[in-house]
Amino acid sequence: MNGYTPQADFGTPEVSADTVVTLTIDGRAVTVPAGSSVMRAAAECGGSIPKLCASDNLAAFGSCRLCLVEVEGMRGTPASCTTPAADGMVVHTQTPRLQKLRRGVMELYISDHPLDCLTCSANNDCELQDQAAAVGLRDVRYGYEGASHLGAEADTSNPYFDFDPSKCIVCSRCVRACDEVQGTFALTIDGRGFASQVSAGQAGDDFLSSECVSCGACVQACPTATLQEKAVKQIGLPERAVVTTCAYCGVGCTFRAEMRGQQLVRMVPWKDGKANRGHSCVKGRFAWGYAHHQDRITSPMIRDSVDQPWRIVGWDEALDYTASKLAAIKAQHGARALGGITSSRCTNEETFLVQKLVRAGFGSNNVDTCARVCHSPTGYGLKTTFGTSAGTQDFDSVMDADVIMVIGANPTDAHPVFASRMKRRLRKGAKLIVIDPRRIDLVHSPHVEAAHHLALQPGTNVAVLTALAHVIVSEGLADEAFIRERCDWDEYQDWARFVADARHSPEALEPVTRVPAGELRAAARLFATGGNGAIYYGLGVTEHSQGSSTVMAIANLAMATGNIGRRGVGVNPLRGQNNVQGACDMGSFPHELSGYRHISDAGVRALFEGDWGVTLDPEPGLRIPNMLDAALDGSFRALYIQGEDILQSDPNTHHVAAGLAAMELVIVHDLFLNETANYAHVFLPGSTFLEKNGTFTNAERRIQPVRKVMEPANGLEDWQVTQALANALGLDWNYTHPSEILDEIARLTPTFAGVSWERLELDGSLQWPVNADHPDGSPIMHEAGFVRGKGKFVVTDYVPTDEKTGPRFPLLLTTGRILSQYNVGAQTRRTANSIWHGEDVLEIHASDAENRGIGDGDWVRLTSRTGETTLRADVTDRVAPGVVYTTFHHPATQANVVTTEYSDWATNCPEYKVTAVQVSLSNGPSEWQEEYADLTARARRIAAEAAE
Amino acid sequence: MEIERLVYMANQIGRNLATEDNPAAATADHIRLFWDPRMKAAIAAHFVAGGEGLDAVVRDALTGS
Amino acid sequence: MSLDAIIERHRGREGPLLPILHDVQATVGCIDTAAEAAIAAALNLSRAEVHGVVSFYHDFTATADPRPCLELCRAEACQARGVEAMVAAAEAAAGDRVRLKPVYCLGLCSVGPNARIGDTLHARLDEASLVALIGQA
Repeated sequence: MNGYTPQADFGTPEVSADTVVTLTIDGRAVTVPAGSSVMRAAAECGGSIPKLCASDNLAAFGSCRLCLVEVEGMRGTPASCTTPAADGMVVHTQTPRLQKLRRGVMELYISDHPLDCLTCSANNDCELQDQAAAVGLRDVRYGYEGASHLGAEADTSNPYFDFDPSKCIVCSRCVRACDEVQGTFALTIDGRGFASQVSAGQAGDDFLSSECVSCGACVQACPTATLQEKAVKQIGLPERAVVTTCAYCGVGCTFRAEMRGQQLVRMVPWKDGKANRGHSCVKGRFAWGYAHHQDRITSPMIRDSVDQPWRIVGWDEALDYTASKLAAIKAQHGARALGGITSSRCTNEETFLVQKLVRAGFGSNNVDTCARVCHSPTGYGLKTTFGTSAGTQDFDSVMDADVIMVIGANPTDAHPVFASRMKRRLRKGAKLIVIDPRRIDLVHSPHVEAAHHLALQPGTNVAVLTALAHVIVSEGLADEAFIRERCDWDEYQDWARFVADARHSPEALEPVTRVPAGELRAAARLFATGGNGAIYYGLGVTEHSQGSSTVMAIANLAMATGNIGRRGVGVNPLRGQNNVQGACDMGSFPHELSGYRHISDAGVRALFEGDWGVTLDPEPGLRIPNMLDAALDGSFRALYIQGEDILQSDPNTHHVAAGLAAMELVIVHDLFLNETANYAHVFLPGSTFLEKNGTFTNAERRIQPVRKVMEPANGLEDWQVTQALANALGLDWNYTHPSEILDEIARLTPTFAGVSWERLELDGSLQWPVNADHPDGSPIMHEAGFVRGKGKFVVTDYVPTDEKTGPRFPLLLTTGRILSQYNVGAQTRRTANSIWHGEDVLEIHASDAENRGIGDGDWVRLTSRTGETTLRADVTDRVAPGVVYTTFHHPATQANVVTTEYSDWATNCPEYKVTAVQVSLSNGPSEWQEEYADLTARARRIAAEAAE
Repeated sequence: MEIERLVYMANQIGRNLATEDNPAAATADHIRLFWDPRMKAAIAAHFVAGGEGLDAVVRDALTGS
Repeated sequence: MSLDAIIERHRGREGPLLPILHDVQATVGCIDTAAEAAIAAALNLSRAEVHGVVSFYHDFTATADPRPCLELCRAEACQARGVEAMVAAAEAAAGDRVRLKPVYCLGLCSVGPNARIGDTLHARLDEASLVALIGQA
């Protein structure tokens, strides 16, 4: 993967067709799928026709007139990008006539282009330059005195790339990339004729003020230096490229990390990446500056109590200190007083090692992962109904969906690259149903309009899904043939009787759900009868007191309509973090070993015990919230947390803080002194995804390699730190590369049996299960039958949450994310992304704002029974009256001070999405915010500073 | 462990499994599969001591376990 | 008619953008950025797309010009029939009071030089009749 070569471009998109055509290009016979362009056919047989406006991720445009060819029997010189290849066609791509025409065209381009190649930042990485050479341009006869665009001013408003129209050839590739690839339509050609120019937004807009979402597709599409990364201007062109996997969301985009020495120049989406298909978002593409941020801690630190400043120590001292403390606590309080939290941000191999450390080293099953607070209900719900804790489809599947149902997810903000695929499908005519209390962008945005938006009252997911099922069953729209063949018929009949009960009709439930019954009925009919129905859902489903029930209700709906087991359908959890799926697969839950096998299963335990040479505790361990509870009663005393910031991310901050403060030993293994580290005694510096090898598993069960592109700033990859800690505890671990850990995972986990580092190098990625039955992996699951045998319909009765509004707290708060920031913001807040979102704001409906005398932008106090915080109000009609919304990206706000301890009945996944609150005008920070700012300042002292 | 919290959790499980064929058995199973031993011990002890606040289905579940 | 009413009138038809733009231009005298944004939101288009269309057509303007407007054809046929020689006099007659807008072909090539005020076409113009026309505009 080393060495720098640009990614290949075949000029026009790949065509899939049942028939092929054979033509002759410059004397060579070439066979391509029918419908392929002559340009693509030429590229596939190794030829290269000059081009400027063509790119294989964009529909042919035929505007640059450089790709002209001669076709025997055809008049003139057609553009090869827009001419379909035909059987028997004889094409000439290099003739004196074509040479003259192309040179003439190029001469016109260059007559209005600066001749500063030597000092241009794109020198040697410029298609215009390459094509001028290819067509043999030697001079420009027109002179440079006439009207030109050479004086046009550059737009430097975007923090990551510049737009310099003086270098623009108006090929429209950027405009088309924004339309076709990203689906935002933020760019246009302003004016006409000679005055035509690329423009972001309207008159008076620049890139920053326009609708641009900074995904980088235009920059990637630009054949000149017009749209270029600022980093390339500062650092220079890359000299090598390493393919690796993004560490932000669960889409799992693959990128080329383009390097100059040890310096990262840019991240460019990899066209062969099967999750992202060459696309990216503002986070993965640009927001990697945190990796070198000054706040990064690269040395281990310890302290005896959290009142003391940190003391920088060597690795040996830190590990010995930690190991002896752990051993002492274990000796005094038993193994069950110790635990660990694995991170969905870390690799499969690192996660596997942390849970192994807890089970085999600490001797308890007190291991959990941040999926506890996001997708644990997915694991429970899909395992119960289908037999496996994972989504059923690959991302490509959406291109065959006819009706897309999005429930409690906001893909354009949280899973933007997949959202672009979904929007592409919607533009081709698929219908959309959105079930969400907020009017998310998918409901109404350029070229996308939901057929139905069911703006339900937060907390009533199960009621809405049951009402949808009621319509499908009572109107005879269920797919009986599918159900009889694939599901347990008796269970289906029980379920059908339950949902068909009159109390579950949309009309009966309308007072609870606040969804107009007619709208709900129409949505149900569309989903059941509109062709392939695909359900995509997010944390708006799981983070409720009935999160698991909602997941099962979704599974019921998919089975009842026969939408499982083929392309275009399925139940698809959109995973928040890069490796949520993987962390869950790796045995991070306290009750399960890798591959979702219960710890009480003696046979499974014996397999691990044999391999690890230890005896495992057969009882489930504590979940994160239980750990905090147990800390308060003194039975849980030591916690190793890798790559997670539970103080900011977990609900009811006061409770989390009290739990952490009660522990004897908190070990934080992270890039930064995060909020949790305020309560830590040991800080072990972590490594970024750029500094390590391993694998991530994305939302489509795709295992993808993460490759080290630079040396770890702290000297060790995270798996090495965990291994060093294990060694300090006396465990005899000696892995030399994550591939050896992956081999162990494969050896112990049937769904991973066929996975190895070598296989991944060869195939790029693999979707589990990969084993004897599925040697090449499994893009679609449950194709022939459900993993559990028969699909299980589970009766899901609506049980209202105990979190209720009342006179003191009359509004319902729901929380979520925004495009530019990521989760607790530890990474994105340390990048220029904060230009788009510098603080959390509270969305409040105009009527609720008016009742409280609140204006747009006013400081307001957000209060619940657990706590209060202050932030600015955003008066909007995105939320319904009675509902308010905010994000949790900023520790200064600590939105989770307000959220409660209520959680999913089955998994304890917190009920982040429903909190009864009051909002009032505020004149300053809350008491907690002031206290917490003081605490943070004290807790982050490092000895050298403290001495001053 | 704070017993009120465990009682709340157990009742919540019972309420959500009320539509199972045998809600008490399902509740008992759920607790067996997902609760840590100290949590199980605490709820059992609370039940033996009178089980204040426990719903009937949870009491049945704990009787059988 | 308000912007909302114009949008509402055309929203259901196929290809509603141009009819809306024409009505807005005719009613308000221009299509400013706020109107572009409102039309974009109503039609599920981006602001950029609407702006691209508005800026493409000479008939749509970003700011209103309340002056009377005379469109004078400056295309090849009218040039051949002598329009260029009349431009200086026309500009003098127009001064700041009348907007003189060059257009390129009004479709009456055999009877030029031609001009248009509103929807009324004027053919076979000479300098005197053009100046008189401007005077009445």
